Amino acid sequence: MLKYIARRILQMVPVFFGVTILLFILRAPGVLPGDPIRMITGEKAISPALYQELVKENGLDKPLPVQYVTYLGKLVHGDLGRSYQKDRPVVEIFADKYPNTIRLALAAIVIEIIVGIAAGIISAVKQYSFLDVVVTLSTSVLVSVPVFWLGMMFQVLLGIKLKEWTGGAFYLPMSGMGSPPDLAHLVLPAVTLASVSTAYAARITRSQLLEVMGQDYIRTAVAKGLSDRAVIFKHALKNAMIPVVTFIGLDLGAMMSGAILTETIFNWPGVGLEIYFSIQQRDWPIVMGGVIIVVFAVMLINLIVDISYAFLDPRIRYGGPAK
Amino acid sequence: MSERFRKVLAVSLAVVLALGISGLAGCAKKTGGETGGETGNKPVKGGTLSFYLNEPAFIDPYNAQESEGVQVVSAVFDSLVDFDPITSEIRPAAAESWESNEDATVWTFHLRKGAKFHNGREVKAEDFKYAWERICNPENKSEISYHLSAVKGYDEMQEGKATELEGVKVVDDYTLQVTLKEPFGDFEYVVGHPALAPVPKEELDTPEKAKAFADKPIGNGPFMMAEPWKHDQEIKIVRFDDYYGEPAYLDGVDFKIFKDEETAFLEFKAGNLDFTSIPSGQLKATIQQYGESPDGYTVEPGKQVLTGSELAVYYVILNNKDKLLANKTLRQAFSLAVNRQAIVDSVFEGTRDPATGIVPKGIVGYQDGAWPYAKYDKEQAAKLLAEAGYPEGKGLPEVTLSYNSGSGHEAIMELIASDLKALGVNVKLDGQEWAQYLDKLDAGEFQMGRLGWIADYPIMDNFLYPLFQSKSADNHSFYANPQVDSLLAEARKTPDADARIEKYREAERMIGEDAPVIPIVFYKHGRVGSDRIRDFVYGPMGIAALDKAWIAQ
Repeated sequence: MLKYIARRILQMVPVFFGVTILLFILRAPGVLPGDPIRMITGEKAISPALYQELVKENGLDKPLPVQYVTYLGKLVHGDLGRSYQKDRPVVEIFADKYPNTIRLALAAIVIEIIVGIAAGIISAVKQYSFLDVVVTLSTSVLVSVPVFWLGMMFQVLLGIKLKEWTGGAFYLPMSGMGSPPDLAHLVLPAVTLASVSTAYAARITRSQLLEVMGQDYIRTAVAKGLSDRAVIFKHALKNAMIPVVTFIGLDLGAMMSGAILTETIFNWPGVGLEIYFSIQQRDWPIVMGGVIIVVFAVMLINLIVDISYAFLDPRIRYGGPAK
Repeated sequence: MSERFRKVLAVSLAVVLALGISGLAGCAKKTGGETGGETGNKPVKGGTLSFYLNEPAFIDPYNAQESEGVQVVSAVFDSLVDFDPITSEIRPAAAESWESNEDATVWTFHLRKGAKFHNGREVKAEDFKYAWERICNPENKSEISYHLSAVKGYDEMQEGKATELEGVKVVDDYTLQVTLKEPFGDFEYVVGHPALAPVPKEELDTPEKAKAFADKPIGNGPFMMAEPWKHDQEIKIVRFDDYYGEPAYLDGVDFKIFKDEETAFLEFKAGNLDFTSIPSGQLKATIQQYGESPDGYTVEPGKQVLTGSELAVYYVILNNKDKLLANKTLRQAFSLAVNRQAIVDSVFEGTRDPATGIVPKGIVGYQDGAWPYAKYDKEQAAKLLAEAGYPEGKGLPEVTLSYNSGSGHEAIMELIASDLKALGVNVKLDGQEWAQYLDKLDAGEFQMGRLGWIADYPIMDNFLYPLFQSKSADNHSFYANPQVDSLLAEARKTPDADARIEKYREAERMIGEDAPVIPIVFYKHGRVGSDRIRDFVYGPMGIAALDKAWIAQ
């Protein structure tokens, strides 16, 4: 297993070079239009003196390969450069924002796991019951509802209307993280971000569990007199979980790269919008730094997901000889 | 089995509820403390105003540029002069009085004695010199050094040949003398820009201090920073009790930073914000609910929506170097063909005014209808088109209208294109990403485009000189008229304000006759304040006068 993990970590190296080289190619003149330095002053013209100063300071006058090597050299020392637009170190910007993205992603994933899997189990075990219909119907609705609409509905109902109805006593905060950050501000964004994935998690759990429950070994387990609880949790669920875990892992990876819509609606200071705006502004240091951080986060999550397979299915063993 | 699952369901519900209740508890605490009761019209001290802001680029004056950053800087810093928030009339601030020589090349400012920085030290003339040199020093990469481009020694500093601004002389602790390269009668307005405020050198003498200063600047204004800027979240300022002028009534202002004005507007509706902007499409409903302010700039209970004019213009640029558009009569015809009122009504829901020239209302010297071709007149347009040699558009090749897509420009560009189409001109729309669009503009590879311009100072020069002086970097239409150039230079040389304004007016009319660009609309506010704020003025420059505002308790 350790050997396997080591190999997986080593595999990150080529991915890292691939991603960074690709990003540098995008910066080559003529590939992606737009002069990053010119972008700094927007509609107003930039003075030639300042332009030269900025080009020189950011090393943009040097050939691309030289810039790349310089970038790597700084990266080794934990320096991701400075934002062109904000004139702040990129490391500082992500140190500010990445924890917020992680908070939101983890909260959403917890909701997804608890609510999604529970709903899936209930509707599979009680197939065609009233509860099953409720779960199937509500997941269909959730999957098709746009996130921004759902988010704004939550804001209006639980933020504004609830406050009016209760005379200002109870409501959920609609935006930001609060200062200092508190759990209350996390509720609406997390629920909104989790909504679609929770529905998917429930549906996958349901269909997988139904499939597994129809298999011979389950019939055997029931026949030998095991309790329902033992059959479902010990035998059926574990086998049904692999696709669910895969889905949740992928989803967590996606959330770790920021959630642009949720961040916008709830004014959540995460990395999604930061990277999105930086691409538009051609603020390369932020784009590069952001992509590198996100790529590593996603690879790390994938690794954790792969390892968890081994615990779910004892037949899966990494690194050892085939049995 | 079902019992088991009821338990699972119960547990998950409990978790969700627990999350919810912890949230509710948090909120219940925050709503406490507000007491009712009317205090009448006498200002009272106390209370914190919450104010919607976008994330500023900088709140350190050396790089304060967009309205967000300038809003914060103007509360924390005082420049030599400032402007009446509504009339834009010039007023003393850090300088008590000032005068210029005969041809407006040497300006002397007499500073107020006893005015203090937030660190307790007295503001002296050398603090201005230091602040201005900080802006002009190319190492600091200020993007707004152009404010000082009229000062002698500016070019030498920018090129790295000098470390001091030759034109700025500290005569004594309270006298600052500024020598300009060329006469500039409106220079007194330039020094009113918040970016040109004094900064205390001792707070910037190490890189660590400078870094801290960027997020928590120390100024000389009516408010001081309560804590460092929380990026993308909040900027808190509190009253500075040692202020030289009338101390502010408010205990402080919380600038709440939102990325999306829709979210801010919801927070306003929930009573969690005192001042915010109104998202597009919601102005009429908001006026119905909250009432419209009579002067458009002052929030009063029941008359809370602000719709006053702003010092900004939205215009279509015509490439005057283009073979086709070099034809003045054709440009005039194009300008007459655009139905500006239709754009105002259908795109902006009345939140803009049709532009009648390039200098908007609210600028000292504004003249209504300054540009004869900045109006909608289909017949006259058709006549001019024929005069230009293309009757009903016959023989006229397709014209390309480029713009940056997003930000709602498409709708406006489509209306302009259809107006031109009605005239007989085929227009190709060319929407591009902002970065790409800017490239094209700078390279002059366009026929028609769009831009906006916001005044830095409430003077005509700030529109006419940058946009139409033949050598100006912001003159994207490549308009070059030697007569206009010399008239503008002459106006700058005129020390008498009235005579100067007359010259600018003449220049404006002269430019208008040439129709180098097509003014489309003048901007207006679309903002709303809460019913608990009093004497809250948000002027045409887009800056709130927070020092006079107060909160009814």
